Amino acid sequence: MKTLSVDGKTVSVESGTMLYDAAVLAGASIPTLCRHEGLPHEGACRVCMVELHRRGTVRLVASCMFPVNEEGLEVRTDTERVRAARNFVIRLLLRRNGDSAAIRRLAAEENVLPDGRLPALEKELCIRCGRCIRACSANGTDALGFALRGWDRKTTPPFGEAAATCVGCLACAEVCPTGHISWEEKDGHRRIWGRDFALVCCEHCGEPFATEEQLAFLRAGHPSDALSPEEERFCPRCRRIRAGQSFTLEEVKDR
Amino acid sequence: MPRSCDTLSAPSCPDLDAILARHPAHPRYLLAALQDIQAAFRHIPREAMVRVAAHMGIPESRVYGVATFYKALSLVPKGRKTVKVCMGTACHLRGAPGVLEALENALGIAPGDTTEDGAFSLETVNCLGACALAPVVMVEDTPYGAMTPARVASMLEKERDHAV
Ligand code: FES
Ligand code: FES
Repeated sequence: MKTLSVDGKTVSVESGTMLYDAAVLAGASIPTLCRHEGLPHEGACRVCMVELHRRGTVRLVASCMFPVNEEGLEVRTDTERVRAARNFVIRLLLRRNGDSAAIRRLAAEENVLPDGRLPALEKELCIRCGRCIRACSANGTDALGFALRGWDRKTTPPFGEAAATCVGCLACAEVCPTGHISWEEKDGHRRIWGRDFALVCCEHCGEPFATEEQLAFLRAGHPSDALSPEEERFCPRCRRIRAGQSFTLEEVKDR
Repeated sequence: MPRSCDTLSAPSCPDLDAILARHPAHPRYLLAALQDIQAAFRHIPREAMVRVAAHMGIPESRVYGVATFYKALSLVPKGRKTVKVCMGTACHLRGAPGVLEALENALGIAPGDTTEDGAFSLETVNCLGACALAPVVMVEDTPYGAMTPARVASMLEKERDHAV
């Protein structure tokens, strides 16, 4: 365990815990955009900056990626400098992504106003946080990546074509903080990243819960990831209910 | 590395297999392999990206990302010679915009494009580090200092002879 102070409060955390998690544990609140609980951290958005006092030096670090590996760190989450850094990033985001409700909400929470001296830019939702790419990579499908660089940088399937290795699982859309990734569903099909996927419906409740391609991908991968033929017939919710029933006393079943 | 071959199948090209064979199957060699492919084919063909990804065991999305990240790599074939017009501060002040305009007119292309006969690609750069010669144009490795719109035609004439 390592002990640190966050805004004057002392907390102890497991070595390797990120500053962000330690700060939240200490009751601080820090805005984030590119951080996602279930994904590797990339430090792409820089809105989670905090002031780190360490061995006599003071600097700003991205709290989502900075591990607590030593005793005695001192963190400040709400100083003049922290607010300036955060607000600067938010102002840039507002300028390019002013249409995003998530960005506008963040700006309102941090009391940041759009910079009126600058002309508005083309409105778009993608903030290049890379969450979708990390999610797709964690799934093993790797259908997305960044292309180009600087201002032109964008998220795209390889070669700018329909995503060949995509299985239509929607993990990318699920983790997107701004709703940039869109898809369509109709007539038993889901369309995303330029491709069509056949939806698989639960035999019990009739809700679509996966795509054919997604199940095939699981079957082809690691055996421990694959669903049994029985499991493939039901949605996760009905699967749990059925599993629950198998533990329940005969008399109360079907109640 | 020869820069003079035209297509994937030109016999003078060290072909893709040879390039891949030179680079160990590890992601660390991705950029080096792409540079060799660019030099041999004057662009990164789609097929080459697919092969590199398979060879190094990395997703195609990563290869595509690297291939589009670097200015030195191009997804469309580059001309046999690249004409770089410096648009840095010194060159800009000494008339680079006029030189660029003359080049665009003479070649009939915009920066980033390649002439139809594949002879020249036109590019702009920000400071070639030869500000004393401003405005500067580089054709491959040859610098042309103190350029003027009037000298564009003779420069291209001279370079075109070499190019064919
Ligand atoms: S949340 Fe830490 S850099 Fe984005
Ligand atoms: S500005 Fe053109 S060489 Fe420096």
